[in-house]
Amino acid sequence: MTVTFRLNGEDYRFRDDPMTPLIDILRQERFLTGTKAVCREGFCGACTVHVDGDAVPSCLKPVGLLEGCEVVTIEGLSAGNQVLHPLQAAFEAADAVQCGMCFPGMVMSLLAFMRDNPDASRDDIKAAMVGNICRCTGYERIVDTVADCLAQQRQTAKVAGGADV
Amino acid sequence: MSEASVTVMNLPRRDAQDKLRGRTKYTNDRARPDMLHAVLLRSTVPAGRIVRLDVSPALAWPGVRAVATGADAPGLYGIGIADHPLMAIDTIRYHGEPIAVVAAETEEQARAALAAIILEIEPLAPVLTMAEALEPGARLIHEDWRGYEVITEGGARAGNIAWEAKSSRGDVDAAFARSDVRIVESSFSVGRQSHVPFEPRVAIGSWEDGRAHIQTSTQVPWTVRNVTGRVMQLPPGRVRVTVPPVGGGFGLKFDASIEPITALLARMTGRPVMLENTRQEEMATCLCRENAEIRIRSAVTAEGEIVGREAVVLMDCGAYGGEQVFLTTMTAHTLGGNYRVGATRLVSRAVYTNTPPNGAFRACNGVYNTFALERHTDEICDFLGLDPMEFRKKNVLGDGDFGPTGQVFEDDVLAPMLDRMETLRAKTGTLERKADGRLYGMATTVGTWFVFTGPSAATVNLNADGSATLVTSGVEIGSGTMMQSLPQIVAGQLGLAPHQVIVREADTDAAGLDVGVGGGRTTVSIGAASVAACAEVKEKLLRAAGEMLQTRPEDLVLRDGRAEISGRPGSGATIPAVVAHAQATTGPITGSGAFTAKNTPAMAGCAMGHFIDALDIPVFVVHEAEVAVDPDTGHVEVLAYRVVQDVGRALNPRAIMGQIQGGVVQGLGYALHEEVTITTDGRIAQNDFETYRLPLAGDVVPVAADLYEGAPSLGPLGAKGAGEVPILAVGAAIACAVSRAIGKPVRQLPLTPPRVLGLLHDREPQPDFPHIASGWAANTLG
Ligand code: FES
Ligand code: FES
Repeated sequence: MTVTFRLNGEDYRFRDDPMTPLIDILRQERFLTGTKAVCREGFCGACTVHVDGDAVPSCLKPVGLLEGCEVVTIEGLSAGNQVLHPLQAAFEAADAVQCGMCFPGMVMSLLAFMRDNPDASRDDIKAAMVGNICRCTGYERIVDTVADCLAQQRQTAKVAGGADV
Repeated sequence: MSEASVTVMNLPRRDAQDKLRGRTKYTNDRARPDMLHAVLLRSTVPAGRIVRLDVSPALAWPGVRAVATGADAPGLYGIGIADHPLMAIDTIRYHGEPIAVVAAETEEQARAALAAIILEIEPLAPVLTMAEALEPGARLIHEDWRGYEVITEGGARAGNIAWEAKSSRGDVDAAFARSDVRIVESSFSVGRQSHVPFEPRVAIGSWEDGRAHIQTSTQVPWTVRNVTGRVMQLPPGRVRVTVPPVGGGFGLKFDASIEPITALLARMTGRPVMLENTRQEEMATCLCRENAEIRIRSAVTAEGEIVGREAVVLMDCGAYGGEQVFLTTMTAHTLGGNYRVGATRLVSRAVYTNTPPNGAFRACNGVYNTFALERHTDEICDFLGLDPMEFRKKNVLGDGDFGPTGQVFEDDVLAPMLDRMETLRAKTGTLERKADGRLYGMATTVGTWFVFTGPSAATVNLNADGSATLVTSGVEIGSGTMMQSLPQIVAGQLGLAPHQVIVREADTDAAGLDVGVGGGRTTVSIGAASVAACAEVKEKLLRAAGEMLQTRPEDLVLRDGRAEISGRPGSGATIPAVVAHAQATTGPITGSGAFTAKNTPAMAGCAMGHFIDALDIPVFVVHEAEVAVDPDTGHVEVLAYRVVQDVGRALNPRAIMGQIQGGVVQGLGYALHEEVTITTDGRIAQNDFETYRLPLAGDVVPVAADLYEGAPSLGPLGAKGAGEVPILAVGAAIACAVSRAIGKPVRQLPLTPPRVLGLLHDREPQPDFPHIASGWAANTLG
């Protein structure tokens, strides 16, 4: 069976078992190893990618369901020497990263969350992170960074909104 | 300018960007299309004899390039004693033990071929618990234990006791016989803890110019090199180990495990071979923090003076000795730490069972010995009606006090740290109001651990562009040491900026011996070796500058990328100019440095079977927890957590805070819900993320921490390792707080809701160890 979808902005055609999990194609066929296979059961979130803008665990996504979809991986967020996305830059500035294995998935999940929940509280952020496990950091710095980024985002929106008047 | 003022800073990590962009190539990201994939055939019984093993059908399978068994690499390895084969030879000792390995073009082909291997095992009744292993007449898990090579002399061994370490100081019998003492005895038991690093154990072996090259996710490249040499019966110099960024270690990767298998297969096939544990294999064969059983007894006067103490600690090493053999030593320094005690005797035994081998996990047996000691201390206070905080203030180790091996502690550290905890609490306030009708408890506990010193080497090359290259066998496991404290230290020594210091990834062909990244030793040991290397560089650099500038080297200083005349900023010459001059006249500027343990003395005859008689660098912590216990469900919520940690000198305070938050949270998992159990057929029951409950964002609280500086240390600028100890006293603080909240003695971890409910309703059986004799001496091999 053939499945065609967009992968980081380019067409990608897959011909093989449609039950193949997306993560295997990313890591083994495309060498997009930023997507991490940690539990392969949908618990840890390290394999999170965007499918049509939604954050989904790629370990649970059979490629057969991706026909015509837009898939973006961590590598697709900022190509080449492009500057980091503000959330990534904020994680770097806050010294939030340790072993780093959870972060690509963490970034993909949180970006979708921040877009959809611009007014999220600290508790909301923590609740949203139930599907993203980190073994190293103890989370709090990640939560603080997201809260700061959201505040920044609201501030920017307010300034932009004010300028319209 | 003081050394500290140019070294201490909140330097961010240079590896963060690539990690955040998903570009970092960990070992398990390095599969290439031309690589073979290896898969292990593992035992599905906990004990047995291999009566038939025929791999030839697997060799005939499509895509298969090699099959190997224990007979292909028959050397034994281990710590203290060589008892561990690479793959089972004749005898199966645990469920999950590797028996054979297949290398094929794809993983699917290798898996299919595994099924074709003919294996017949005659099962034996497994010895699954330490109680069974210690029974008189118990089946020997290692029938040939007497014949094993002893790598480190001194430990007593017999049958299922892999190693025994003892410490004894003073007349304990006399102390217990005193008429003015009360005797308090407590028993504790703890389960295993699984590390769950996000990158499992994985290695890539290749055979290059007649030598093995192993890329691996390890904390101990030199151990991998030496073990590979041993099992393959090669000189270790024929093995090269390089280490890409490691996706989490926590001690799990402090021993060699699957790496030599990749070298073996690479030699057989001439192709690079990758072997990666699946998550299920990783958890089923995790070298966990061991389960343990502890009995401790103290003789205390009415005023609260501890005049005598004795204890027995049984540590389950699983099927092979491994780290537990070494860790028997640490009982003296942890269970025997924290307090000033009159006469003391402690015995710690690593016991073989037919279960997956255990290993090292962040602060190792310190975590449960601290739990046991701190809960025992609270039981003493309860019994004698003493205030637990006052008792601690009065009895914690201070300047001139003796440890259990007769080591003399320097300086008062714990007592002022307890005062600092009170100050911290006054600042943060307490959160009893948040208990909201639930049972509330708060407890302050102390802990003693150490920096594992031991040998490290460093080379520093100073380059003509003004940069310096630091070459060591250090590994970046996530703690940031290689990214932060080491470049900070080297830059501070040479008057450079940290970004000018290039840090080489570990390569045993490039850097000298190192005993590994763990035990809080990287900043201290590799740091000290780096300072020594910098001293040589500095000396050469100043000599060349002196010659160039016609000045005496003693009058020159390195500052801001220049060799300047002291007190005249901007004078002299730039470092690149001096390096260029040196290169043209005397040759490139390079320095090398070394460091090793100081071997702090103990009292003669106090320590038996110990790998370390005394602590070169003790490290102390004070932890305080506030909890709320739901009496209906048994659920424990952590309301607040506070830490005062002895860091010697904080080289990067923000990075240390990150280690404290992460370490405390791992400890909360251990204390509350990370539970490993062994099934009746000897398996670890929790082999995935569904059954093993890791801490989630919603479980944790921000840890308030105060870094205590100024305690003595051999480390560079007085630094101590700060990443290991944040987990040390978490089990203790939580257990003591829960115990106070529910008004019942807590003697087991983890405190899962069913266990807490059981305790509340007096349904939970308290640990009782018929296999620990009541007379202390009967628990020793004499
Ligand atoms: S690997 Fe997909 S959720 Fe863990
Ligand atoms: S940084 Fe290691 S798992 Fe999150």
